[in-house]
Amino acid sequence: MKDVVRLGSGSGFWGDAPDPAMELLDRGGLDYLCFDFLAELTMALLERQRRKDKTAGYVPDAVTMMIDMMALAKARGTRLISNGGGVNPRAAAERIAAAARARGLRGLRIAAVDGDNVVDRIDEFVGAGIRLTHLETGAEDFAHHRNAVVSASVYADCSGIIAALADGADIVITGRVSDSAPYVGAIMHEFGWRHDAAHADRIGAAITVGHVLECAAGASGGMSSRFADMPDMGRVGFPLAEFHRDGTAEITKLANTGGRVDAFTVKEHLLYEIADPASYIMPDGIADFTTLRLSESGPDRVRLSGMSGRPRPDTWKLLIGYDDGWIGEGMLFVPWPDALGRARKARETLLQRFERLGLVADEMQFDFIGIDMLHGPAAPAPQHEMNEVGLRVAVLTRSREQAEKVRRACANLWIMGPGGTSFGAPLKPRPVIAAWPTLVPRALIPQTVTMTEV
Amino acid sequence: MARLLRDIAYVRSGDKGDVVNVGVIARQPGDYAALLRSVTPERVKALYGDHVRGAVSVYRLDNIDSLNVVMQKALGGGATRTLRLDQTGKALGSALLRLEVVE
Repeated sequence: MKDVVRLGSGSGFWGDAPDPAMELLDRGGLDYLCFDFLAELTMALLERQRRKDKTAGYVPDAVTMMIDMMALAKARGTRLISNGGGVNPRAAAERIAAAARARGLRGLRIAAVDGDNVVDRIDEFVGAGIRLTHLETGAEDFAHHRNAVVSASVYADCSGIIAALADGADIVITGRVSDSAPYVGAIMHEFGWRHDAAHADRIGAAITVGHVLECAAGASGGMSSRFADMPDMGRVGFPLAEFHRDGTAEITKLANTGGRVDAFTVKEHLLYEIADPASYIMPDGIADFTTLRLSESGPDRVRLSGMSGRPRPDTWKLLIGYDDGWIGEGMLFVPWPDALGRARKARETLLQRFERLGLVADEMQFDFIGIDMLHGPAAPAPQHEMNEVGLRVAVLTRSREQAEKVRRACANLWIMGPGGTSFGAPLKPRPVIAAWPTLVPRALIPQTVTMTEV
Repeated sequence: MARLLRDIAYVRSGDKGDVVNVGVIARQPGDYAALLRSVTPERVKALYGDHVRGAVSVYRLDNIDSLNVVMQKALGGGATRTLRLDQTGKALGSALLRLEVVE
């Protein structure tokens, strides 16, 4: 029996680079390579695709990566776990299996894990007396948005992944499990841990390590405050973990890759997208980040010990996506001299155009690019005359037709606007999907494993 | 010249719904106390103005000389609904580096 599991991070989002994952697979000596492809409302985009085409609804990049990696993964003895199945993991698995057959691969087991997608079960939940209270605002009026619902996915735990691995899966492709679940599932499977109080600290450790790895380059120099000092970021190495049976771990990356793994890159990512650090609530358990010890144990190597946690919660997070209008957006750039003054005048001109076009706006925002677009009210006034200033406008409307007026008004300024102004390509109106986060009892969300062998 | 947070800290920010968090890490363990003095809910709210419309909490991680600042109603309704270009609050962490250090 193994005492150390080697897990690599293969992707931090839909759009991440495939080459660092391939490098890890080739020479990482990994037991598992895990991938995250899902942002908060990716499921809504995928659900829309599935409604048009019953064989769609997974993340195409995920399927492409599994297909490109499956032969090498089998040869290296590395199992691939991803949440790229989106709202249709079975279709993703079938697609991978078909590609494997076409390439003459044999003896490959591909598991689809689902049960998280509850878009057709909302009325059942309401009927069972679940209030669907908004997690952030406490609002109780979900019924108001019921007819606008696009997607509803529960952040499920790693139970389905464990079951798939126990059944010999080489590739596991899931729906909306938590971002750390692929890592936690691999670790729990290897060490035979259960979701019980006796394993709470060790599962807390697995969640912590999964959290550090789940955004790939996020723990090896990407997004770093010290980005300017990070070597070769275009050839960055994604992080990997050596996770020990005793609940300690070392985070590192491959030699001869870009980026860096040190105390600060790991601390930076520990703090990413969390609330109370003593209660990082995941479906597999509640990790406590305030007890761990972190030390540099070698070049590009950080040791984590003292990690802890508490047993998993009885309720899991459900994220409902619903249609909530349209956004119309435009940008223009004004050159020196008096760039800011003339950008301000362009703003007034746009407001007049909106009035003439009869724009009905729910909310409107103007930004001066180069002045306050990113820091908003925290940005001080410029101390010198700007070489160029951009003006950005974004408007929330109820309909596409209204949002289209924003694009038209911005185009009107091509000739009505300040001399020398540049516009780039016009931005298309985009539909808004709003998020309604809430909780559902864990017991209502069983997961299903569907195995395909080629 | 007063020191700014940029002189003593690293940051990382991100979102969950309409909540933005900023992790603040002391560059030197000796500066952690200054972080604790400098990063308070009141000072954070004053810095961000109407960008942050809800409550601000500051959590301590004494074990890694770091703080976590959690700001409610801070993203204009959340990543997919906000009118901001910075849909996920990634830039708000760097704004916090503008805070003057309380010595």
